[in-house]
Amino acid sequence: MTASSGSIVTRQGGDVALRAPRSNLSMTLRRLARSPGAILGATLVAMFILIGIFAPVLAPYDFEAADFVKVRQPPSAEHWLGTDELGRDLLSRLLYGARLSLVVGLISVGIGVLIGAPLGLISGYAGGRVDQVIMRLMDILLAFPSILLAILMVAAFGPSLTNAMIAIGVVSIPVYARLMRGSTLSIKEELYIEASRSVGTPSHHILTRHVLPNTIAPIVVQSTLQIAVAIQASAALGFLGLGAPPDVPEWGNMLQKGRTYILSAPHIVVFPGLAIMLVVLGFNLMGDGLRDALDPRMAR
Amino acid sequence: MRTTRFWIVLLTLMGLALSACVAPMPAAEAPGAPAPAVGPKTLTIASGTDIENMNVHRVTSSPSFSVLEHIYETLFYMNPEGELEPLLAESLEPGEEEHTFILKLRQGVNFSDGTPFNAEAVKMNLEYVLNPDNGSAFAFLISRIREIEVVDDYTVKLILDSDFAPLAAHLSHGALAMVAPSALEQGNDFLANNAIGTGPYMLERWDRAESVTLVRNPNYWREPPAIDRLVFKVVQEDGARLVEVEAGTVDIAVRVPPAEAARVDANPNVDVITTPGLRTIYIFFNVTREPFDDVRVRQAINYAVDVEAIVNQLFNGAARVSDAPFAPPIFGYKPNPPYARDLEKARALLAEAGVPEGTSLVLYHPTGRYVQDALVADAVRAQLREVGLEVELRTLEWPQYVPFVRAPAGENQVQFAMLGWSTPTMDADYALYALFHSSEHPPGFNGAFYSNPEVDRLLDEARTTVDPEVRRELYAQAIDIIWEEAPWLFLYSEVQLTAIRTNVEGFIVHPNERLIATYADKK
Amino acid sequence: MTQYILRRFLWAIPVLLGASFLVFWSIRWVPGDPAIAIAGELATPELVEKVRAELGLDQPLPIQYGIYLGRMLRGDMGTSVRSGLPVFEEIRIRLPRTLQLTFFSLLFAAAIGIPIGVLSATRANTWIDALSMIFALLGVSMPIFWLGLMLIVFFALTLPSWLGLNQPILPPTGAGTWQHLVMPTIALAANSMAIQARMTRASMLEVLRSDYIRTARAKGVPEFSVVYNHGLRNALIPIVTVIGLQFGTLLGGAVLTETVFAWPGIGRLLVDSIGYRDYPVIQGTVLVITVGFVLVNILVDVLYAYLDPRIRYT
Repeated sequence: MTASSGSIVTRQGGDVALRAPRSNLSMTLRRLARSPGAILGATLVAMFILIGIFAPVLAPYDFEAADFVKVRQPPSAEHWLGTDELGRDLLSRLLYGARLSLVVGLISVGIGVLIGAPLGLISGYAGGRVDQVIMRLMDILLAFPSILLAILMVAAFGPSLTNAMIAIGVVSIPVYARLMRGSTLSIKEELYIEASRSVGTPSHHILTRHVLPNTIAPIVVQSTLQIAVAIQASAALGFLGLGAPPDVPEWGNMLQKGRTYILSAPHIVVFPGLAIMLVVLGFNLMGDGLRDALDPRMAR
Repeated sequence: MRTTRFWIVLLTLMGLALSACVAPMPAAEAPGAPAPAVGPKTLTIASGTDIENMNVHRVTSSPSFSVLEHIYETLFYMNPEGELEPLLAESLEPGEEEHTFILKLRQGVNFSDGTPFNAEAVKMNLEYVLNPDNGSAFAFLISRIREIEVVDDYTVKLILDSDFAPLAAHLSHGALAMVAPSALEQGNDFLANNAIGTGPYMLERWDRAESVTLVRNPNYWREPPAIDRLVFKVVQEDGARLVEVEAGTVDIAVRVPPAEAARVDANPNVDVITTPGLRTIYIFFNVTREPFDDVRVRQAINYAVDVEAIVNQLFNGAARVSDAPFAPPIFGYKPNPPYARDLEKARALLAEAGVPEGTSLVLYHPTGRYVQDALVADAVRAQLREVGLEVELRTLEWPQYVPFVRAPAGENQVQFAMLGWSTPTMDADYALYALFHSSEHPPGFNGAFYSNPEVDRLLDEARTTVDPEVRRELYAQAIDIIWEEAPWLFLYSEVQLTAIRTNVEGFIVHPNERLIATYADKK
Repeated sequence: MTQYILRRFLWAIPVLLGASFLVFWSIRWVPGDPAIAIAGELATPELVEKVRAELGLDQPLPIQYGIYLGRMLRGDMGTSVRSGLPVFEEIRIRLPRTLQLTFFSLLFAAAIGIPIGVLSATRANTWIDALSMIFALLGVSMPIFWLGLMLIVFFALTLPSWLGLNQPILPPTGAGTWQHLVMPTIALAANSMAIQARMTRASMLEVLRSDYIRTARAKGVPEFSVVYNHGLRNALIPIVTVIGLQFGTLLGGAVLTETVFAWPGIGRLLVDSIGYRDYPVIQGTVLVITVGFVLVNILVDVLYAYLDPRIRYT
């Protein structure tokens, strides 16, 4: 199930909770290479990452250099994507924006994984009361439409890109917790773990040696899809004015400010949206491809 | 079996969906344009925001006053030229005793429910506003009134703490309009939803968040207006208001985005009219804090920012570059040569003041409060970058912003911050005292913590002087000092752009952001 | 079964309590002051204090929460700080608009998404399939609000200029007539449509591979009937479940759509109220959306359990 922008988290995280068979890496890669969608996705993602890293080299202009004489100019040979409302080069700003989106995607997913996965692991492994408490807390977080929860959190802590990242990350915690709990439960029951336990292997050993390695695949798949969601969500928050300050070339932010000129200079809103769409599409395709490659039973 | 279950599920979900759909339909069919309410002549105004509520003494926003001033009238009326005219009052003269004023009222005026307008009504209204329990934000306008005495049916004696030159001007403020005592007696809940005044229109219906409809008051005491119905339709989105006025589904659209003005004006059926505003936008420096404690730095920033370009390029000319701390229509206005952009001079002043290249500053600004406020903050940032100042923008939402810039000395974190000040009384006292007098440091509005004994003296003296020419001179002196000492980055005063269908005549856009349809007609 | 339903509903109570608690505290973290919003920026500090006391904002937070909960139980959601009107009123006026938009979006999404999914499944691994799935993926990858803006550009600018009109084809924002409903519906539906298309395809493929279909084909049932009478009917069960879940997600998405199109629903009310720090309205709106969301999810769970008895015991 792919991410939807109405929802910040992929609720049907259970889809990928099925434990991947322990296929070797080369097999997985070979399967991945056979899917044109996955290749397209991976290419888009790779381009996005490269742009994010090399934005200063690639940008034709200083992304902050304003020229009030050239405001809101349509695309031209001089400015390929035109200029924004302060006469800054839109292309250069979009390239720098890629960097911001990359950071937002990685950090918010990082928060989700680093908090959600251990919670799920503990919940699944410990069971009993601990499991109850953790999962009920997760239920409360899941009771909100996720975008609503993110809006609330950012409104509460103050609009900024950092807070947006944190909010998006926090909102995704239950997804990882549930995913991890599911994987842990199924592995726990497997015979070889039973066997280790019976010979007195300590818990942390079982967790790190046996459970963790087997849950990595679904987490990777989920994270790929979740980066797409995070980028979309941060753009949504930026669009609602709950993101970065006005000078920051975050894509959602650019859309929000360009909205005023939608009828006289539509290029200011067309391109940032296109950028968001391509990147999100890339991650979605790659995520779908990865899932199919890791678990051939799910291939459709 | 599977099939049966499927149909059960499907039907249940459909039922659920249907109930969701059926329930809203009645409300959904009460559309923004109240079709059945259209009379012979209806004027529809696309307004940016809904009215807060119907209590004229408690609302604070211009859109609210624009609606309510058709229902309620004030004692005096400040015309668009800034001249005071008597309205419900006939005159305001100094009384025999010290600090007293005698207010003579117009006779034969009735509220729309038939009850008479008289001295008792004035007393009730002013006392309502002065009573802190009623939470009237504009109580400060008349806070110098200590006592209100009814002399006879049409004479009121106002007893003040001290002489107060702008009293009549203050009484022209919409928040001090006259509400029928019969309504006041019914309490705040009634007042929030109903309106009984002496004005040319009466409230017909109010569809929350969608529209307010007013209907002509058949017993109006002056010549009745030509338009039978006024509809204030809430259209929040800038672009949407334009589309509606261009399509003719509304007659008037407020707050045309400057970038769109030329395009809309080219439409043969629509004119865009320009009205100088009374709101001045500025960025104040905290003069008690480095580096803005040095006048050279403040001047340097004034030289570094090209307000002319902001106005001409970003606003397509739809603003007025400040040459005084307030706009020309206001009494006491005196121009000074604007700080034209001079990067060399700015750099030299900064160097002299010992502000190195790359100095970081934090500029606070609101968003969505003033026309393009965030854009202007961004523009200022971009321009200060050219003289080597790194400005970090911090955006705060309005309810957060106000206490932030008004934080008292110890807690105040402002380095420099954007604000706008509107002067609805059209008098320099309102425009200068609260912003530059040293007694008005935060929590007052002198967020710059500016203090100059000479300016204080001039403002105090002008406040209690009655002779207008002497006052004008006193204000001119104060303005010159303020201009030189630059506690602000002087920006611009707003200009209102209003799109009006060409078949509408006599519609007035007042400099104080009120829309007046009373004298309008439609061909 | 009854016990399961009961359990699900009982469980909703602590979840909703937790959610209301979360809303209540998170909103009060904000440094902004609703008393300023109501008293106006020109108000004296004394007046602001007074307003704060009137609103009960001077009480300690736990007491405020207690008062709040007590009122909620009595159906009193408080009074809007900005308008001075009961929050219940504010929401009651706007909720129908949101439901209207959500419902039509759902309908539209199903009307387009399911046929695309069926088409895709019956032509699996052809270019039609590939095209449909790319279409579906674009649908999920596009930010709702951007799609909304693009629709505005298209219907208000591009299309009229192609047709030589100088008026928009559809009103770009606002509400009132069916024309107003078109663009927000499409924008909000795009996501859900894509998800339904994908779900339908997957579900159809599974059904079409089943023995039951193979038998039907072997018996010489016409292909059309195989696909629609035998196939789709069975494949629809998971799809309907997904549609149910979408309803809740769409409620969340409505916040963005309503903002783009100035649609006077509760999503827009929420965003505006955040700007004004109108706590009671924020709490009320979030609570109403959350309750709706939770209830719809429970309903879907229950229906699903009814369809697939194994679910009940997990």
